[in-house]
Amino acid sequence: MNAPPRPTVPLESIEICLEGIVPATICSCSREGMPNVTFLSVVHRLDESHVALSFQFFNKTRANILQNPRVQVLVVSPETSEQFRLDLQYLRTETEGASFERMNTRLDAVASQSGMSNVFKLRGVDIFEVLDCRPVGSEFRAEVARKADYLPELDCFTERLSACGDLDSLLSTALEELSSLFGCAHSFVMFPDEEGKRLYTGASHGFEPSGVGSEVLIGKGMLGVAAKRHATVRTTNLTREMLLARAVRSAIQRRGQQTLLEREIPLPGLSNAQSQLVLPLLVGDRFQGVLCLQDQTPGRFLETDERVLQIAARHLAIAMSNIRLPVSPSRKVALKRTGAFSKRSSVVKHYKSDDSIFIDDTYLIKGIPGRLLWKLLGAFVGTGRMTFSNKEIRLDAGLRLPDIKDNLETRLILLRRRLDERCEFVRLVHAGRGQLHLEVSRKLALEELP
Amino acid sequence: MKRPTNSISITAELKDFLESGVSVVVGTRDSACLPDAVRAWGPRVGRDGRTISLCVAVATSGSALSNLRDNGRVAVIFCLPTNYKTIQLKGRFLGTTRPNGQDLAAVEHHRDSFTASATGVGVDRRFMEGLWQKELVESAVMLKIRFVAEQVFDQTPGPDAGARL
Repeated sequence: MNAPPRPTVPLESIEICLEGIVPATICSCSREGMPNVTFLSVVHRLDESHVALSFQFFNKTRANILQNPRVQVLVVSPETSEQFRLDLQYLRTETEGASFERMNTRLDAVASQSGMSNVFKLRGVDIFEVLDCRPVGSEFRAEVARKADYLPELDCFTERLSACGDLDSLLSTALEELSSLFGCAHSFVMFPDEEGKRLYTGASHGFEPSGVGSEVLIGKGMLGVAAKRHATVRTTNLTREMLLARAVRSAIQRRGQQTLLEREIPLPGLSNAQSQLVLPLLVGDRFQGVLCLQDQTPGRFLETDERVLQIAARHLAIAMSNIRLPVSPSRKVALKRTGAFSKRSSVVKHYKSDDSIFIDDTYLIKGIPGRLLWKLLGAFVGTGRMTFSNKEIRLDAGLRLPDIKDNLETRLILLRRRLDERCEFVRLVHAGRGQLHLEVSRKLALEELP
Repeated sequence: MKRPTNSISITAELKDFLESGVSVVVGTRDSACLPDAVRAWGPRVGRDGRTISLCVAVATSGSALSNLRDNGRVAVIFCLPTNYKTIQLKGRFLGTTRPNGQDLAAVEHHRDSFTASATGVGVDRRFMEGLWQKELVESAVMLKIRFVAEQVFDQTPGPDAGARL
């Protein structure tokens, strides 16, 4: 068997042209000799001499490649505006396997976000051999492919994470270091809830307000699909993805098939996000949440970035899993109130139906963290207790905590961060090994409602 | 070259679209049916409503020009970046000439309107400037391609993409 030809320009040196930041164009030709041109979203590089193109609809390009396997794809660099021609030879169509699954997850994620899950279906992935890749025009000077070397950053990242002793500092450190070491200025971590139905934001970096506590449904939208499939979902140009989806949506409406359409889901996080990388936090099969990185620039996260950040995310997941809550003695410490009490007072309302907490009629939190806070505030107002152990909370039957150890810690982080952001007179702080300290600087009146 | 008899007349609405801020790519093929794609600028529908012209940079279109002279088969796609409305014309090559003043004015108009529509949906202006500078400045010599359309297709993404109009 002959070795595949080496393209004039190595594919890895034009990685950025193949990411769908700028649409590519494909020209095919029928058996009768009539050319056909159409636009393509993404050209997936499989190796140095193979690419994959996905197809959702049976169209003229499909018909042509089955008749005449030679096609040409025109791609553009979003960085230099340089154009390249890829001469391709169709080899086969795959409807399963790694390439198919990867492209399928990406398509399903975009489809779900844009309310097009019943319309966007990956029918197959066409595999092509790259016969040549050459610059359009003669003035191009092939440059040596940019070799990304992130070893020092990864070294530093893992070192900083290994110095963290609890989940809260681990998450804060991880997101801060992703920003300072890798330039990922906007990031958040979402955890699954006890029922495995939703993800909620437990920590964030580079957002104002923080968005902590915000939720998405598992299985819905890009984050929800990444969570459900335990898969990475990367997008390089969200505006373009949404414009394309809306064009298809209009076509479906013109056909009178509105019943196929679902609502477009707003993307959590940056309002003007163009690039997004969602990485599952997995240890073996154990799903601990997702790390989501966003950026306003198209093409911010390329294939190389994905690989590097995947390593960072895997390390974070293992570190999260390794952090064991220290077992503390179950002594109950009742501390006297310290610090100055403000003359003002506030009303805390607890709605039993969903455990939501409102402070002075402003919503704070609901669910398990709401129930937890209500319990702590009740103890504080009733007896003046301010310090509680994680263990007693976990064992308190009245709190009806699910039997998942990790979730108490993530719920406490959420509660702590919501309080930090929304309430200046109630704080929950770590008080050493397995202890929580409640700081209240205002008189509270508690009111329980159905 | 004599105009083929089955050329179609371009409606006023379609003319407006073809001459707007669209991305234009020309597809051709050689005698062995190997395809070739090249970007084109300044599309114009002639006074007869049938002849369409567009300009290509000579430096980027060597294969396309030789293919057109070989067999005359041409497909051209026009896509508006703001909503992905896309039209493909398939037809017959008529000939090439050097662009005149009106053609060059159309190239400039197209350059500006394409840049405006692309930057309107978030495409970086520097990218757009780079794109036309590479073609229109660095490859200063342009040729005008004239062709007639025999078929018009709606190529807007979706289940009906490729429907003949």
